[in-house]
Formats: sequence, C-alpha cells, structure tokens
Amino acid sequence: MNADALLRQDAASMAEAVRSGALSASALAQASLARIDATDGRVNAFTEVVRERALRRAAQVDASLASPQGARTRELPLLGVPFAVKNLFDIAGLQTLAGSKIERDSTPARADATLVRRLESAGAVLVGALNMDEYAYGFTTENSHVGPAHNPHDLTRIAGGSSGGSAAAVAAAQVPLTLGSDTNGSIRVPASLCGVFGLKPTFGRLPRTGSYPFVASLDHLGPFARSVRDLAAAYDAMQGPEGHGPHDAGCAQRAVESTLPGIGRGLQGLRIGVLGGWFRERAQPEALTAVDTVAQALGASHTVELPLVREGRAAAFLITNSEGAALHLPDLRARAADFEPLSRDRFLAGALLPAAWVARAQRVRQLYAQKVARLFERFDILIAAATPCAATPIGAEWFELQGERLPVRPNMGLLTQPISCIGLPVCAVPVWGAHPDLPIGVQVIGAPWREDLVLRVAAALESAGVVHAPVAPL
Amino acid sequence: MTLEQIEAYVDASAVALGLRLRRDHRVGVLRYFALAAEFAALLDAVPLDPQDEPAVQFTPVGPREVEA
Repeated sequence: MNADALLRQDAASMAEAVRSGALSASALAQASLARIDATDGRVNAFTEVVRERALRRAAQVDASLASPQGARTRELPLLGVPFAVKNLFDIAGLQTLAGSKIERDSTPARADATLVRRLESAGAVLVGALNMDEYAYGFTTENSHVGPAHNPHDLTRIAGGSSGGSAAAVAAAQVPLTLGSDTNGSIRVPASLCGVFGLKPTFGRLPRTGSYPFVASLDHLGPFARSVRDLAAAYDAMQGPEGHGPHDAGCAQRAVESTLPGIGRGLQGLRIGVLGGWFRERAQPEALTAVDTVAQALGASHTVELPLVREGRAAAFLITNSEGAALHLPDLRARAADFEPLSRDRFLAGALLPAAWVARAQRVRQLYAQKVARLFERFDILIAAATPCAATPIGAEWFELQGERLPVRPNMGLLTQPISCIGLPVCAVPVWGAHPDLPIGVQVIGAPWREDLVLRVAAALESAGVVHAPVAPL
Repeated sequence: MTLEQIEAYVDASAVALGLRLRRDHRVGVLRYFALAAEFAALLDAVPLDPQDEPAVQFTPVGPREVEA
C-alpha cells in the first residue's frame, strides 16, 4: 500500500506500516503534507503547517528505527503517525493564537504543550495547527479572522466548533489524529458534524499545561480520530501525572489507566440507559434517529432523565460567560473591536455578570453532579445525541427545535453543555443514515474516570458497523 | 430584571470595570446580559442549603521538595 492510500486508513494501520518497514515515517509525513496542500484551500482546517519540523521529526523516527535503539522505537504506539492540534496548544516557536487576531502580537511559545510532547514521545509527528473559534467561544468555527473551517462532507456547511479544524482535518484525511479542547461541547459538536470519533475525557484527566485557557474550571482536552482504537491509543499516550516543573492545577494527576487493551471486551454486563427529556425535546428528527439506532444496537431500552439538567446547562453558561470574559478583561477594555465580532458582545456581557450569580452557578453545578452520580449507581453508560441536528450551512443564523426558533451559534451545544458541566467522560460516535447526506454524532457518556467503558461501548458499535468515520470524498 | 434595570446595571457596572461600551456593541451586550439574567433566575429557584458547596476547589501549593 502506498503512502497516499495509507493516509486514508487509521493511525494504528499507519503505525503498523512504519513498524513493519513497509513505509517510512518520512514518506507518511510527506503524504500528509501533500494532502494538506491539495485539500486545505477548500477545507481551511489548518492555520499553520510546520513542514520543516514535521520532516525533521519523521527523519528522526526513521533514523531511530535503523539504530541500535530500533527495537524500542518499534514499540511506540503512534510510530510515524502525522497529527495536528487546535491552535490553542503551544507549539515551540509559534504564537499560540487561540483563534484570535489579538494573540498575533504575543510572544512565541518557548516549548510544546505537554500533550504535544506526549504524543511525539509515543512516535507521532506534528504537522501543524488548526482553525478554531476565537478563544474557543463558539460552536461553528466561522472564524472571521482566517475564514470558516468547511465541513469536508459538504463544503458549504460548518465543521462545528470550537475545535472545527481538528474534526475537519481528520474527516478530510489530512491527518488521522488531532487534538482539541472541549469546555461546553467543542470536541463533541465538531466530531458530530464532521462524522469522526472524539473523546472528551473526565474533567481533570489530561493535563492542560501549555494550552491557552478558555474557562479553567470547565476546560478539557482530548483527541479526534477515525477509529476508536486510535482514540484509545492517543488517550493512553497522553495520560499520567506531570511530575516536576509546570503543571495544571486543575489536573487530578492520576496514574495511567490504559484503555486500549480492554476496548474489545464487548457489551456484556453493561447497563445502558437512553437520556430522555431535555435531550429528546431539543433534537431534530435526524438526531433522534441516530440515538434510536445506537440504542437498538446496544439493546438499551430504559429512558432516563438527568435531574437538574436545565439548571446544569444554565450554570455552565454563566460560569463560561463570566470566567471566560474575566480572562480577557484587559483586552476587552483596550481593544474590544479586535475581538471576533460573532462572540465579542457575549464576552463583554460576561465581564459584567454579578459575582453572586456565578458563585451560585458553581454551587448548583456541584449539586447537579451529586444527583447525576446517583443515576450512575443504576447505569454504567448513558447515551444522547451530540448535536440537535446535522451540520448547518455556513452563515446560518437560526435553526428550529420543536417549533422554537433559536440562534445556531450558542445553541449547537445544547446537548453537550450539561454533560461537560459536570466533567463526565464522553466518546462521540458518528452515525450515518439518520440524515440523507450528513453524519450526526451520539454521545456515549460514562461516570467519572470510566473512559474505559465509553471507549469499550464505542468500539462495540464500531465493530458492529453501527458507527464509522469514512474519509470525505474531496 | 426589566430592560430598564438591565440597561442601568450594564452601564453602571461597565463604568465600575473601566469598560467603555461602544454604541454598536452595547445592543448585543444588553441582549446577552438579558439571556444570562434568565439563566441566573433559573438557578436562583434551586433550593440550596448552606452546606451545598461550590464545585471549584483550591489546592494549596507547597514548596518544591528538595531531593536529599
């Protein structure tokens, strides 16, 4: 198989090809760079391609394979796998833009983000930085500074956000693996709309050191891929406490709990519920069909409601609005006109919220988490749609949910926001056939720290052919 | 909150924070503040005990350990 054909496979297949000597890491990196050159004019997933760095790193991998340390290098799980990261991750020598114009004036990062380093230590090769909503405040990646990320499955539609470039690059087979962040749905929404797998781990699981924050008390980082085994391999490679030096105060610094060895264990013994109420009332027919398809495949017939879900979503909104705005208060004072016009007024309003509202939101959030924890005494997994509908056209302002007209940009995360509010791990899995042409994702949700179970269920759905992530025919 | 109350609060708190709201930004700010006020009212209706603690925790920071 040549490098171009291999680029359409998953990361595990690529690593195996490099491991077996069928292909070099350099050939794979060149194929990824060529695919980006050929397709990104239409997709606009990348904001920076680190060509020289990628080729240098790939050559190092190849040299290491040929050296006396070759046996050890061959064991690396992501050997030679090209990957890219949302442009809020630090990349040494580049400005960390976080989707903004303002950060173009910032000092270039002196070192890579912790998760970038961990993926490269696992053998992967960084090829670039990806488009996103400014400061991660959005669900559509219609970035006014660099243009929108286009959905590879329909270039007239949004890729979702805020990690839109991360999902689009994987759907377009520019790279098999990317990283994004998720504060209220920014991994799960674009994964849903671009038809790829996305993992939002438990809050506090992966260290955020070297990434640009949005809302420290809600921010999560995680991977996108076209197979569940790739998500598991990447997630496993990124786990673990940080040790000495700079570290993320919001990270639980837990020891590694490998998930990849267990993803093939199937569904036996798992109690799976379907979320009703809020999650069905705010979904268009394709989202309901996608959930029903997954529920049927899982044999899940119990419908349950999350207690305090409406209030949980409200709490997430207020905490995000206030904490996100406070972070940018100096720039909001000095240069508000340089902010993304689509989110600037929301930031300005957030700066003005009374402290008592936000303090109460954090108390309700804790109460909501306690009530949902009791639900997990009866269920191991809960499922719900990831987005209320499939990808909307770029520029669309409104959509309709159960007869109510709502603005698209703040509401595409209606179904993800109540889950990340309490930090539960979720794998977004892509369903085809629920909409005539487009994919839509389903959230496979677990109790805190049970990434092993959400990945196990996702893998069972994948091997049954219920969910899959095809490369877009660009 | 009424629209008048929102306008009065937004303008006064913007002054307190040193945030000069341009006229073309203020319209959107008032709309988003009104939305936040609706969410705040929803949370205000949730019964909480004094023992219901906030979700955020502080972790004390010790000095770096010196290796023996």
